[in-house]
Formats: sequence, C-alpha cells, structure tokens
Amino acid sequence: MTQELTHEIFISRIFEAPRELVYQAFVDPDQLAQWFGPVGCSVPRDTIDIDARVGGHQRFVMVVEGDQGFENPIDATFTEVVENERLVGEMQAVGVPGVEGVLTVTLRLEFHDEGGGKTRLELRQGPFAREIGDQTKDGWESSFTKLDALLAA
Amino acid sequence: MADDQLSVIFGALADPTRRAILARLADGDATVTELAEPFAITMPAISRHLKVLERAGLISRSRSGQWLSSTLEAAPLKEATDWMERYRQFWDASFDRLDAHLRRVSQQHESAERTPQ
Repeated sequence: MTQELTHEIFISRIFEAPRELVYQAFVDPDQLAQWFGPVGCSVPRDTIDIDARVGGHQRFVMVVEGDQGFENPIDATFTEVVENERLVGEMQAVGVPGVEGVLTVTLRLEFHDEGGGKTRLELRQGPFAREIGDQTKDGWESSFTKLDALLAA
Repeated sequence: MADDQLSVIFGALADPTRRAILARLADGDATVTELAEPFAITMPAISRHLKVLERAGLISRSRSGQWLSSTLEAAPLKEATDWMERYRQFWDASFDRLDAHLRRVSQQHESAERTPQ
C-alpha cells in the first residue's frame, strides 16, 4: 500500500512569551524534556542531545509514559539555524507505513515577534500522507499545551 | 468478562487497528516507528493496542540494538481458528447430509420416471 505524500502541515500559534524564550524551549535539552511530545508521551532528559548549528543534530527518544516497550528514536539534522528566528531540520525516517525506503521529513520553525512580549510560531512539516499529517498536527497541538504551561511557569 | 485465553484473543482481535497491526506484523517484525508515525498524537493509542495484543500473546516485543521491535506470535491464533473450525465441521457435516439427501431424492425421481414403462 503506497500513500501519496503530498501533505505539509502548517501551524501558526501565539505563545505568551518573548521569542528568545520560545526559541530556547526548542534548543535547550532541559526545557525540551519538560514539554516535548503529545500528552501521554515524553522525551527523557538523558536521551536528548542537541547541537543547534547547521549540520548539527537533534537526537532524542520519545517514549509513551507507562510503557517501557514503546520507544521512538528521533534523529534530525539542522539545515538552517538563525538564533531566535528560524530553525530548519531534516529527519530521515526508515520504515514509515506505506513508504518504500528512506523518507526525508523537513521541519521548519519560524519565530516572529508579535509585540507585547508574545511570539507567533509558524511551523511547517512534511511531506506526509494526509491522515498521518493530521495526526502529527494534533500531536504538535497537544505538545504545545505543555509548552504553554512551561512558558507560564 | 471471562478471563480465559480465548476471550482475551477474540477481544484483542475485535478492533480494526489491532487487526491492521497484526496484518502488518505478518509481513515481518516492525519497530514502533514502523507502526506509528513519530510524534503523531496516536502514539499513546498505538502503545495501548500493542499492550492488548501482547497480553493476548499475539505479539512479543524485544530489543534489537537501538530498536524495540514487535513480532507476530501466531500460535495463539491457532486456538481461535481451532475454535471456529468446529463450526466449519458443522457446516461440512450438514452439507454432507444435504448431498446424501439430494442423491436420494434424485434417485427416487429417476426411478419414478422409469416406473410407468
């Protein structure tokens, strides 16, 4: 079964914090460990390794809380890094359902100053089959509720 | 709910996502990434489905290097098919009796046609 990989997800979302802080939440392992992953999932701090430079990597393992038999290792490489403004990374995924060989998924994050100490994050990620893209978008939305809580703390 | 193995197996099979996972594993072992897209909201759901299948003995999970992978365990499925097999035998036996009945009826019909001569 082959699915058409034509779908790019797009999220535009306001965070109640200056963009330096939102940017740091993505590149500081201590912070990433506190919010990343949909509700019910997390990334243990000791699995996170981030080198926020072009050619640097972002590695971590997503786990489902309460299930030791469930691990999802992520290994992405940064292709664009502009501090407090932009992060672009590529992830090689092997064995994605319905996809032959290696799939390269690109994640693009843009941090815009909204004034009043707020940040608008624009996220683009793809390509996905539509259904999986929708599930991934829901995953980000769920994850961002945890980032809201961290930024408010 | 009855806690016998057969109930647990049929319970595990009574879900389209779990049947899709089993169908995928029939083609070979798979890692979590191969069963659930990374970062999809469905990850906890896939985890729950894997636990149900594991409890029913239909899959096992093991670590190979960095990866945790799931394997189909076909033996318990035989218990389920053995159970259903009895009903196939029931139909086979019924069809055998129907065959015999039809043979008898058609012989009587033939001999009835011959009688007037």
